[in-house]
Amino acid sequence: MDYFLSLVISGLTIGIIYSLMALGLTLIYSILRVINFAHGEFYMLGGYASYYILTAFVGIPPLLGVPLAGLVVMSIGMLLERALLRPMHLGKIERPGEYAILITLGLSFVIQNLALAIFGPYPVRPPSFLEGTFDLGILKISADRTVAAFFSLLLLAALYYLITYTWLGKALRAVSQDKDAASVVGINQLSMNSIAFGMGAGLAAVSGALLAPIFSVIPTSGALPGIRSYVIVVLGGLGSIPGSVLGGLILGLVENLVTGYLPDINRAVTYKNVFGLIIFAIILLVRPRGLLGREE
Amino acid sequence: MKTNDRRTRLLKWTSGILILILLVVAPIFLPDYWLHVSIISLFYALMASSWSLLAGYAGLFSLAHIAFMGIGAYTSGLLGYYLGVPPVLGIIVGTLASGFVGLIIGFLCLRLKSTYLALFTIAFAEILRIVIKSEHMFTRGDKGLRLDPIFPDTISRVPYYYLILALLLVCLAFMFWIVRSRIGIFLRAIREDETAAAARGVDVVKYKILAFIITSMIAGLAGGFYAHYTSIITPNIMVLLQMDLLLAMAIIGGMESLVAAAIGGFIIEYSLEVLRVLEFWRMVAFGVLLVVTLRFAQNGLIAPLLNRIYGGGPKAELRKREEEAA
Repeated sequence: MDYFLSLVISGLTIGIIYSLMALGLTLIYSILRVINFAHGEFYMLGGYASYYILTAFVGIPPLLGVPLAGLVVMSIGMLLERALLRPMHLGKIERPGEYAILITLGLSFVIQNLALAIFGPYPVRPPSFLEGTFDLGILKISADRTVAAFFSLLLLAALYYLITYTWLGKALRAVSQDKDAASVVGINQLSMNSIAFGMGAGLAAVSGALLAPIFSVIPTSGALPGIRSYVIVVLGGLGSIPGSVLGGLILGLVENLVTGYLPDINRAVTYKNVFGLIIFAIILLVRPRGLLGREE
Repeated sequence: MKTNDRRTRLLKWTSGILILILLVVAPIFLPDYWLHVSIISLFYALMASSWSLLAGYAGLFSLAHIAFMGIGAYTSGLLGYYLGVPPVLGIIVGTLASGFVGLIIGFLCLRLKSTYLALFTIAFAEILRIVIKSEHMFTRGDKGLRLDPIFPDTISRVPYYYLILALLLVCLAFMFWIVRSRIGIFLRAIREDETAAAARGVDVVKYKILAFIITSMIAGLAGGFYAHYTSIITPNIMVLLQMDLLLAMAIIGGMESLVAAAIGGFIIEYSLEVLRVLEFWRMVAFGVLLVVTLRFAQNGLIAPLLNRIYGGGPKAELRKREEEAA
């Protein structure tokens, strides 16, 4: 029982960070109607950004690197949106649906290779937020993971406030529900697109920066988290914010329980990603709108 | 207009035959290393053109094309490794296996629209790659699976060159025939508007699945060849970055033209070798070229060039139709 409980707790702590990244994807999808196939690359950029910020300004607390990395990648995301996705919404592109898939895939190819060219193939690891481990009696959990999970929780709460109560949040929700009606009441859809894409990229970067001290960063380290966030948003329902939080927690749990209970430990570690993907494939086939998604 | 037609046809045939002769005599002049590069480039030409049939004509943006190549490669490899099946038979079985999986995937994808299809095919490709990687007791995983050569009596690369050239030409001719036949028209109709196509009597289910089967078989065939030529395969041939590269080749060439996509694959793989000194920057350059092409020249860079030289393409078709109407 203790073993089970410890798996659940560590599953939820990692799941909440997955949720944060998936939430970024959801935000982009619900406003721009685009699946960002470069999402994993923003995660990777977040890790590098925090590493380079913390090496450039020695002495600042490592946790401060996380929001700063988020802001840096957010501005990169906004610029990219303006250059590559805005023409789509201005009607300059012939087949917008296909274009959105291909351009974000192309972007991920560029960013990944650019990272290889600039940062090199060797892993880097930003300093820990907090050294040591916490002893919860049934399990020892590393302080880094705990800090990362709490930070995600706080950020999720802040986002909840932003989306529910502020003008910006209301405007974003309006656009996601009905573009034309939103423009009628004076919401500039193009700037909402930029903001949503920037915030989405920033959230991916924050989760990348949070996990960087734990897993290190290499140019290809975005691939798996990227795929994981597609799994989460489809599981929770494309465009559903509570869905992506729920989906992230479920995926964190499933991965941990599978790894914890499969008898063959080597196989369990490699297969934990397959289980997520199998859930994903089944959801896509049986119930494409996911757990909490609305009917399109 | 008649003389113009005849002239372009003459131009087409003479340049086609010239390029063919050039390709056939090339091994005599090429040093061994560049012969190797040419073989790999022809392989990529085959992969890019078959993906363009699936994505450019049928509008099915599958990101599992690399996975089908892997199925062809691993089927043949495992059959040879465990049962001693000769390479040629292995490649044939691999092609069929790939086509069979293509049938299943095509069937499962019937209801999925563009984005969902892309996501589903990524999931399939990744599951397959991770399983092959994890079951290393059976597939030898990252240690690599050794394969027998197709031509055991010689160490020369020349027979491989002619084999892949022949495969490319035969597959291109076959795909050309499909595109020119009613099936090609049906596929393009499905791409433009599935419901409208169905309303006019196109059997959408049948032709979508058919497109998957044909292109998967070609990818499987190419994979089988590649595996036996390089004589060792690892699951890394199926990573997503490889798929992105393939995508770049087809799109920069022009994915709505089989020949342009093939030329794109050939030229890009060749230039990647020529620009080897640039290391990672050459990939960055091609990525940027891909993004710029998508943004400003959606028909690719080579397809419009071909249209300008030989006539044809959407503009010429429109002109022809107007003339006929007049």
